[in-house]
Amino acid sequence: MTSNETAGVVLQTRQIEKHYQMGEQTVKALKGVTLQINKTDFTAVMGPSGSGKSTFMNMLGCLDSPSSGQILVQGEDVTHLSAARLAEVRNQYIGFVFQQFNLLPRTTALDNVMLPLLYTKNSKAAAIARSKACLELVGLGERLDHHPSQLSGGQQQRVAIARALVNRPAVILADEPTGALDTETGLEIMALFQQLHQQGTTIVLVTHEPDIAAFANRQLVFRDGQLLSDKRTVPANASDALRYFRQTKLAEALA
Amino acid sequence: MNLMLLLNVAWVALRVNLMRSILTMLGIIIGVAAVIIMLALGSGARYEVDQQIKSLGGNVFVIFASGRFSGGARQASGASQGLTEMDALAIENQLPQVSIAAPVLQASGQIVFGNINWAPSIIGVDNKIYQAQSWQVVNGRTFSDTELASAGRVAVIGQTVQRELFGAGDPLGQTIRVNKVPVTVIGVLNSKGQNTQGNDQDDIIFMPIDTVRKRISGITLSSPKAVRSIIVQVIDERDMALVEQELDALLRQRLRSTGPNAPFRIRNLAEMVETRAQTMQIFNGLLAAVASVSLLVGGIGIMNIMLVSVTERTREIGLRMAVGAKPADILRQFLIEAVLLCGLGGIFGLSLAVIVTSVLERFAGYTAIIQPEVVLMSIGFSALIGVFFGYYPASKAAKLQPIDALRYE
Repeated sequence: MTSNETAGVVLQTRQIEKHYQMGEQTVKALKGVTLQINKTDFTAVMGPSGSGKSTFMNMLGCLDSPSSGQILVQGEDVTHLSAARLAEVRNQYIGFVFQQFNLLPRTTALDNVMLPLLYTKNSKAAAIARSKACLELVGLGERLDHHPSQLSGGQQQRVAIARALVNRPAVILADEPTGALDTETGLEIMALFQQLHQQGTTIVLVTHEPDIAAFANRQLVFRDGQLLSDKRTVPANASDALRYFRQTKLAEALA
Repeated sequence: MNLMLLLNVAWVALRVNLMRSILTMLGIIIGVAAVIIMLALGSGARYEVDQQIKSLGGNVFVIFASGRFSGGARQASGASQGLTEMDALAIENQLPQVSIAAPVLQASGQIVFGNINWAPSIIGVDNKIYQAQSWQVVNGRTFSDTELASAGRVAVIGQTVQRELFGAGDPLGQTIRVNKVPVTVIGVLNSKGQNTQGNDQDDIIFMPIDTVRKRISGITLSSPKAVRSIIVQVIDERDMALVEQELDALLRQRLRSTGPNAPFRIRNLAEMVETRAQTMQIFNGLLAAVASVSLLVGGIGIMNIMLVSVTERTREIGLRMAVGAKPADILRQFLIEAVLLCGLGGIFGLSLAVIVTSVLERFAGYTAIIQPEVVLMSIGFSALIGVFFGYYPASKAAKLQPIDALRYE
């Protein structure tokens, strides 16, 4: 057991840089970012497009490797692992939630949630039981056999969150999870994230909306490939915000 | 992922694009069917040839007298005589490798029963013919020694003759007229059916050789015991070459022939059939080769569609990689999809081949034999095509970077 684990550090980056070759020019998307994500963090990552926040997230998710620097997942250096080993690391430690949900079409909610378990050595019965439990946790216990086309956007994102949870990952990385949803559904999803966080899930969430970032307890702001600020705040309560939003809408409808 | 799961994923993927999967499979279906049909027709032809050789006997020579009977012109005194029954006896007695030598004399003519006319092959024989050509008398009897010695007016008829003259009635004891000579039917031969040239082997009537010579054939013969041909059966098939030489030497000596043009020809019928069959086999092999080209084209079609499928499903690949699929998992997934596509194509192709060959057999008179090893080979081979043409698209999918695949629009 390393000191990082005892200190509750889930993800760690050390001076990571990412360079892209664009013809003659070298574009530096990340210019040396050093950061720790702790077990208890609900982190919001903000910044304008081109600030390097997406590149940073891809590094955290082991989807992309840095040009220089180091990435540690649960204390293990994953910087120079093979594609196959990286797949195992993602499978074991990281859950992904995407803006466009990325569910498999013509596949039931249950099968979508089970997908990460297909790449582990779990028995099928255990995989089904675990997937059902995760769908119940996100409030979709009644819709196991629905296809994505039969679900609303918010429900699809809940399926995606259940999928991210199914492997009991160390951290959930959510890339603009409310970006494709209306305000009310977005608030519902944020309330779900807060609930998961309270139950002990580490979450890193990319957003460009300050309103959404306010529901996290830590805010990172990127600009020009560098970390501009790293603040800890008392988070706003998403359930309260949702209740307020619904009351206002009701009032507007009545008025 | 275990195999059942992979197969299930592949099955779902193929079912989602059902029409496309079927059309892609069509190439393999047609290719496999074409190859199997060609091979089946080849095997069928081979079988027919083997049957014919069996009925002829692989150990049989036929010696034809040449040029002795044309026009019935008598040769000048001292010129060599044609083949005779004595030659047949000499062959049988002097060559230890020969089991039997049956003299044969054909004649042409009409036979009449009641108001029915018929013109079968009229053949003068003795009782050796049954062994020499594998005939059996299935109803009645063969010729008695008296009938053979005294040119008896008796006949053994083939099944076609029986059917044409007597229908369902009993032919035994009936009197027919052969070239106006009344002849009593004493036996009926077994059926041999058609030979490979489509000639009816049962359209035949046997009579004692003396009867044909003296009473039926209108032509004057060069010798009182002249025959048209001698059927020689050799005991051991391995002695065929030796016996051919010995026959040639013996007959040249007996007929006092020295020149390059002997007055007889020795034919190994099985060999003639075999030679013709080989030509046919080469032709058939060529057709099968052409058919396998269509299988190759089918395989290229598979590769094409698999490439399209990989491109279409790039985001799915990215997602699978993000949630833990290794490159090997992705490779396996697409490879199995290609193999499933081809394997199903192979099975459908086999079914199509079975249907087509049974139609050909029933309505076009072909003999087609689908060998079990051909079935296994063609399905195995089409699965192999799946691996071969599926590998490139699958490895292309496996080499995708997860982040590029996820972002692919």
